[in-house]
Amino acid sequence: MHSEKPKHDFEPKIIAFVCTWCTYAGADLAGTSRMQYPSNVRVLKFPCTGRIDPVFILKAFQQGADGILVSGCHPGDCHYIAGNYHARRRFAVFRKLLEFIGVDLNRIQFSWVSAAEGGKWVEVVTDLTERVRAMGPMVEFKDLVLEEQWSGNLNNPELQAVYEAM
Amino acid sequence: MQKQITEANLRLLIDSLLLKGQRVVGPRQSGTMVLYEPLASASDLVTDELPRRSIKEAFFPVCEDLLEYRKEGQQIELKDIDPDRFPETVLIGVRPCDAAAVPVLDAVFSWDYQDQFFLARRAKTTIIGMACTTADDACFCTAVGLSPNDPKGSDLLLTPLVGGGFLVESQSEKGEAFLATWQDRFSEPDGSQTQALATPALQPLDLKKIKAWLDDHFEDPAWDSIAVRCVGCGACAFVCPACHCFDIVDEGSEKAGKRRKFWDACGFSKFTNHASGHNPRDLQPKRYRNRIMHKFKYYDDKFGQTLCTGCGRCIRVCPVGIDIAGVLEEIQGK
Amino acid sequence: MTQTIDISSYSAITDAIRNEARRILSDSTVSAVIGYTAGRRKGSTQPIVITTADDADQLIFSAACLNDLVVYLTKAKKDVPKGGRIGIVVKGCDLKALVGLLGESQLKRENLYLIGIPCSGVLGSLLKPAAELTTETIASKCCECTDQLPVGCDFVPTVTPTPLPDLEKRYANEIARLEAMNPSERWEFWKEQFSKCIKCYACRQVCPFCFCEQCLCDRNRPQMVEQTPRPLGNTAWHLMRAMHLAGRCAGCGECERVCPMDIPLNLLNRKMAKELKELFNSEAGFEVREAGPLTSYREDDDQSFIR
Repeated sequence: MHSEKPKHDFEPKIIAFVCTWCTYAGADLAGTSRMQYPSNVRVLKFPCTGRIDPVFILKAFQQGADGILVSGCHPGDCHYIAGNYHARRRFAVFRKLLEFIGVDLNRIQFSWVSAAEGGKWVEVVTDLTERVRAMGPMVEFKDLVLEEQWSGNLNNPELQAVYEAM
Repeated sequence: MQKQITEANLRLLIDSLLLKGQRVVGPRQSGTMVLYEPLASASDLVTDELPRRSIKEAFFPVCEDLLEYRKEGQQIELKDIDPDRFPETVLIGVRPCDAAAVPVLDAVFSWDYQDQFFLARRAKTTIIGMACTTADDACFCTAVGLSPNDPKGSDLLLTPLVGGGFLVESQSEKGEAFLATWQDRFSEPDGSQTQALATPALQPLDLKKIKAWLDDHFEDPAWDSIAVRCVGCGACAFVCPACHCFDIVDEGSEKAGKRRKFWDACGFSKFTNHASGHNPRDLQPKRYRNRIMHKFKYYDDKFGQTLCTGCGRCIRVCPVGIDIAGVLEEIQGK
Repeated sequence: MTQTIDISSYSAITDAIRNEARRILSDSTVSAVIGYTAGRRKGSTQPIVITTADDADQLIFSAACLNDLVVYLTKAKKDVPKGGRIGIVVKGCDLKALVGLLGESQLKRENLYLIGIPCSGVLGSLLKPAAELTTETIASKCCECTDQLPVGCDFVPTVTPTPLPDLEKRYANEIARLEAMNPSERWEFWKEQFSKCIKCYACRQVCPFCFCEQCLCDRNRPQMVEQTPRPLGNTAWHLMRAMHLAGRCAGCGECERVCPMDIPLNLLNRKMAKELKELFNSEAGFEVREAGPLTSYREDDDQSFIR
């Protein structure tokens, strides 16, 4: 039966971009095998890791993700032969770019999870969730949502009152 | 009315305004550039450099919210922006070429449609201009009928005096009211000489002659030779004090978001792109032609004014060295 | 200490370009030559397309000839006549961009007549086009230049470029400075830089590699990158730009040079170039590559970051 779920102050939102052929099937296997893993992860299914554009990761951060997982087929197993090889290079570079602009790479995990690796899926997701939970919310991109150029700023009496009280 | 103010008192005045909770915007060092930005203290004010961006953004921000929407089920909630939230602003150290563009913008934003966003910001703003004593070789205000101490658009105009301090001339009721409110900071003019004004190098242009050529040269091979080099960015339009095109976009999701107004430019290839895919200005020379036509013909036809104040910013920033003053000279010579 | 850089060779280069342009236009080797000409203001220059031998005298080369003219060869510049063979003046850094475009099948070598410049350096900015070329005013890209003499051109004036003095490696130093920061300091640095952006897209429009007819960032259905010039959309735009140029950028530095808001854009491109060199031993050069580092792969690529 279900074990008691521990209560946490902060439940991170984890977005998982996965390929439909391997990792999605692996996550499915974890589910049908009744393995337990954190419900913090939202799975988005793509045809292939090669289809996962770096802009999706930025968008996820902007819309409130605290952690990101990108996962697909092991090298050699790609349904489209080489999609994951291309993705591997792309993300090797993209993570360097994110690091350079000040994103903590501990929030992003890349993995190969095959259709038979339900257990590995559980491990990867659990580790990432706990790691991000310990780091706290990803505030950088969320703060940007509220930022304006000076000329677009408005007087905000309520906020002003809050600031003055501080 | 004429008054005088010392440099020290001008700084004190800025600090007093800030203490009163007024937003004071003026040229200040911002990283590697001088920009018009809200001043945090009087010592931020820089008076010897033309800011990289014009003052138009005080009334016509780079990007501003128009409304907020939220949708739940079939319920749609719309929230307008309350014009009371536009801050009271004093603009100080505004260059005459920037100030002169403001009345030009008034014409288009209060014509067939009263743009409440522009006009409400405008009503809450006092403009204190400052005459120029230096110019570089991109400046050409005198060529388009203005001058380095042109009072157009300013509520108060400061002119540097030889022994330091400024001569203050009020140009409007707003200016008079400002002088009355802060009368302690000003003194009566003591007859000091004003400093020599800047002398832009370009000879005055015959704008009538240029317009006459534009009137019947919509099609002309000159447009190709002038604008074939244009790469189609918006740098010229965005730094221009008089360019005022904007786009409106909804950002957010289907559940909630904001409608925003932001700067657009006729140099962009998508500017005139129709939903059908047809683009009447399909090549860059046609887009550049529109820039010149709008500034020196269409705006004149409609409002009797020229949409250029000779600040020279577009000349300084153009990635491919297009020189609007040079283009005008070329047209004048035809 | 500021030191003047000898560019006396530029007048000989100007003469050589004019003669060559006159020759190839009059014998119909090419239908047009894309080069530089003098502007109205002292020292200023602008790109020019000439189609007759008589106009060859308008061509110049000086320390203010910064533009990467290769952008005019791309399909993004439809208005530049492309019939027949085109002559173009290229510096070493520009040529690397052209070679990149050859590799991406955007251009055909036989349709081009390349006039290479033995380059002794150009200015970093055109805000003062008449400025003297010194170790201070020289462009940052020139400080790290290893390609003063272009390779594989149809014509190169027989002039030896001035060997560049030992200049501060500005990009390398700045990258090292940023890398030494902690993530939140880096985030603050870039947040401030990107906040300045007004989305004039000068960086995109001058880039030889930004030739897409439909830019991802102009699309609004779906709107992957916010169009408004607010810090959010600006950050997304500059990251996408850096990513789309990774492995392609040839380092002409035009994006940074034209930015009216002084955003150090080439810093992102140089950082990406550094990573690509370390990860895949790949860098822009004078040899046409059939595939770039991000359009190819090796089965044994590093995957230590993947679990």
